[in-house]
Amino acid sequence: MSDFWSGYIIFIVVLNLVGCAVLLFANSRLSAEEARQDTTGHKFDGIEERNQPLPRWWLFLFIGTLVFAVGYLVLYPGLGRFGGLLNWTSVTQWEQEVALVEKSSEPLFQEFAKVPVDELAHYPETRDVGGRLFAQNCAICHGSDARGARGYPNLTDGDWLYGGSPDAIVQTITSGRRGTMTPMAAAIGNSDEAVRDMAMYVQTLSRPDLKDKPEYRDAAERAEPRFQVCAACHGADATGNQMIGAPNLTDGIWLYGARLEDIETTIREGRQGHMPAHEGVLTPERIHVLAAYVYSLSMETEE
Amino acid sequence: MANRHAVIEKNVGLLIVLILVAVSFGGLAEIVPLFWQKSTTEPMSTLRPYDALEMAGRDIYIREGCHVCHTQMVRPLRAETERFGPYSVAGEDVWEHPFLWGSKRTGPDLARVGLRPITEQWHREHLRDPRAVVPESNMPAYPWLQNTPVDWKHMERKLSVFKDIFGVPYSEQDVVEQMEKVNGEWADASEEDALVAYLLSLGQARKEVRE
Repeated sequence: MSDFWSGYIIFIVVLNLVGCAVLLFANSRLSAEEARQDTTGHKFDGIEERNQPLPRWWLFLFIGTLVFAVGYLVLYPGLGRFGGLLNWTSVTQWEQEVALVEKSSEPLFQEFAKVPVDELAHYPETRDVGGRLFAQNCAICHGSDARGARGYPNLTDGDWLYGGSPDAIVQTITSGRRGTMTPMAAAIGNSDEAVRDMAMYVQTLSRPDLKDKPEYRDAAERAEPRFQVCAACHGADATGNQMIGAPNLTDGIWLYGARLEDIETTIREGRQGHMPAHEGVLTPERIHVLAAYVYSLSMETEE
Repeated sequence: MANRHAVIEKNVGLLIVLILVAVSFGGLAEIVPLFWQKSTTEPMSTLRPYDALEMAGRDIYIREGCHVCHTQMVRPLRAETERFGPYSVAGEDVWEHPFLWGSKRTGPDLARVGLRPITEQWHREHLRDPRAVVPESNMPAYPWLQNTPVDWKHMERKLSVFKDIFGVPYSEQDVVEQMEKVNGEWADASEEDALVAYLLSLGQARKEVRE
């Protein structure tokens, strides 16, 4: 702030305070002539306005605000460049707040970091601390109950695209994942019938009862030989491959919907899954606690 | 002193003038100096003007009233910086016309939404049907954005206004380049494309502050 603007602000502020004080005291005194009269001389419809001094309580309140203003301007910023005796700024207050919390929470996170993820998952603190981290960072996609949404995996079902080991979870959170299923229509016959056959066959993988229906049996027969192109990623037994995040097709868990139309769309157009990396967003210690929390979510379903 | 205030009370014109003088003191001390302060007139070194697609998205953001429920102002309070990201500074908003700080926080603050690890796909799904991804959300759905092409009619004029009148440092060359893209790769862009581009650009100037 330049000298000019600093002086400009100080001038206006002081002028206002002095002006208010002058106004107050000039008006709180009655001249000898006024004091002799009981009324102000205002008359309307035979009603006269009496001339009374300001009520005491109001007067003291007014003086009080003036005293407060002076005290405030001495302690806090308000007079141009003068920062006040307390040197208060919103940024230093924020820095103190952050430092205070860090001082108490960092040792806690350091302690957590020494405990392996699968052990930490049993700690009651994990539910509190990890739960908060989850709500803040993960719930937006995976849901506040961690059960996911269409296209965003359920984390409570014990089924893992990239593995559910502590290391795999930490890796997923830290570096993120990119799952890509390329459009496969061309590779399996390039016709609507071929896509439908394959979708029906894929459906029977997790629902063998469907094979009792003739149309499913026929479709499966036609599609099965072509499944070898799918097997490159999903495996010959269709149980998936966690190295590349290829889902298990036999477990009845569907990330993009279980309906025939959903599966057809997946085959025809492919799918893109993207778990963003959290390195740089969360410290490694926090990712550690978060991983323990995520690990604990599916632990509960197994019990 | 005798009843001299009667002069003011009986003269409405004078009363109005003196009231205006009295109420202007606050603004004179608190607002007027800001027009000349470096902290409010000098853009952050990391600030980058909006490209045409983001600018179109920003206009859609205004048209749909996003700023009525979403603020773009992270205050220096720990709870807010923890949740949203680095606090807002005046140097970020030098090229904002109008600024979109908002005043009602029905939804989360969006000033740092571009820094959050949220995918573009999520933004699209969320705009089309917020409850498909966040079941608890009370945000309205904006499904028509994906099917509505951006109206580019005024973009060249808009860029010139920002350049010439608001002093946003687009060069002649920038405007030409942006208009080439508008007529080329962005010609068929949907309003959803534009809005998502705008959302992802929010907060980028403060990226390096993020720990």
